[in-house]
Amino acid sequence: MAKVKKEKNYFDTVHIWGRIWTVGALIVLFSLPVAISVYYNAWPEANLVFTALLKLVPLYWVTSIIEVITFTPMLGAGGAYLSFVTGNITNLKLPCALNAMEQAKVKANSEEGEIISTIAVASSAITTTLIIAVGVILFSPVLDDLRNSEALKPAFSYVSAALFGALGASYLKKHWKLSVFPVFVGIVVLLIAPTFGVSTLLFVTIVAAVAGALVLSKLKVVK
Amino acid sequence: MFDFADFKESPLMLTMAAVIIGFVVIESLFFLIKAWKRGKEIGMSTDALKNAVVSSALFSVAPAISILATVVVLASSLGIVLPWIRLSVVGNLLYETTAAETMLDVLGSNINTEVTKEADFAAIAWVMTTGICFGLVLVTVLGKFIIKKINKVATKSQKSSNIADVISASAFIGIISAFVAQSINGKSSDGSSDAGFMSIVTLISAIVIYLVFETLCQKLKLQKLELFATPLSIFGAMAIAVLLNMWLPETVTSFTWWG
Repeated sequence: MAKVKKEKNYFDTVHIWGRIWTVGALIVLFSLPVAISVYYNAWPEANLVFTALLKLVPLYWVTSIIEVITFTPMLGAGGAYLSFVTGNITNLKLPCALNAMEQAKVKANSEEGEIISTIAVASSAITTTLIIAVGVILFSPVLDDLRNSEALKPAFSYVSAALFGALGASYLKKHWKLSVFPVFVGIVVLLIAPTFGVSTLLFVTIVAAVAGALVLSKLKVVK
Repeated sequence: MFDFADFKESPLMLTMAAVIIGFVVIESLFFLIKAWKRGKEIGMSTDALKNAVVSSALFSVAPAISILATVVVLASSLGIVLPWIRLSVVGNLLYETTAAETMLDVLGSNINTEVTKEADFAAIAWVMTTGICFGLVLVTVLGKFIIKKINKVATKSQKSSNIADVISASAFIGIISAFVAQSINGKSSDGSSDAGFMSIVTLISAIVIYLVFETLCQKLKLQKLELFATPLSIFGAMAIAVLLNMWLPETVTSFTWWG
């Protein structure tokens, strides 16, 4: 009973702190355009900003709804609050948390999973922030050369193939029966709509994977 | 290093970078320490917690370098400080680039041209920030509700717990499947990384390196080294992509399904 109460307290505390930090992040984030506008007395024309936002908001806000509903349960409370503040969720924080939970052999909806996911996202955020900061401060002249290097171009063009090949290897090996259908669905969707945004494609393949898994579970092909 | 006379790299911008990036690091440390303490309380081993830190840090190196490359790409137009801030908080490669390009397009410019007016620069900062903030608002409002609903289903009965496990595992697979499919036959918006020979070879290389390394670790009883399987296969596959690009004819390496 005491343990249950403690667990409840821990999750509740994470939600309280998560909300406080997120509201703080929103304030800090908006302080940037406010500071630029005030300091330089440079207030942009509202109609131009709205024109640009009209093009972006429908896509990005719908994507945000999908991301919050899909990713929050996978990342757990701490991991989710932190991921949405630190960004780069689909290409970095989520795979990183999945990788850490897989290695620790813990489930996402357990308290151990919650802890490992939070630690993974925090470590990833700190590492990424430090690498970018050091890179910007020390290597910006060299980075320009790296960016223009024809020899190194393939490494950066296909970083996502390398990342998800590495991450997928252990999952595809362990759960190959569950993997065939969503990969197939993803390929078919891209044949029809090759430039489908990754967030929308993610939604489709996740639904396909879950539906496929439920059918295979019903047929007792997987337990 | 920084051109202080340029408003895009002024002391104001550097101060804002320090405040915003400092905020992210402190928040990350706060949650890291909180989770670590709770892990120890419920009896998790220090090794398991340490492994999560080390494997996640290693896992993040290659993507971080890729993000850094995008900062540099955007720097030619926006200066280096604004992309540095935006790619350290909330956003991602695709979003920030698209947001900046959209605002520049409305202003009659593009990402290859340097922004020289303060008002244009402010407009870009407003658009980049406003467009992405909705996810933050949503997670604050809905995060607790969503997690509680899912956990309720998971703990209701053994049967529903098994179903929750299957859903959870398959949702992970769904995410990986999207990126695997994209590496097999996806098309990038600017055509710079369309799927074809190189993306498929890179994908397969990463899978093969991972499986070979994992098998070797198990055979040689070096399970502790398995931690390095993921970063090793990421960098190994990237190195193979570079080498093949140098050795094979361009007709082969430039082959994509989308011409």
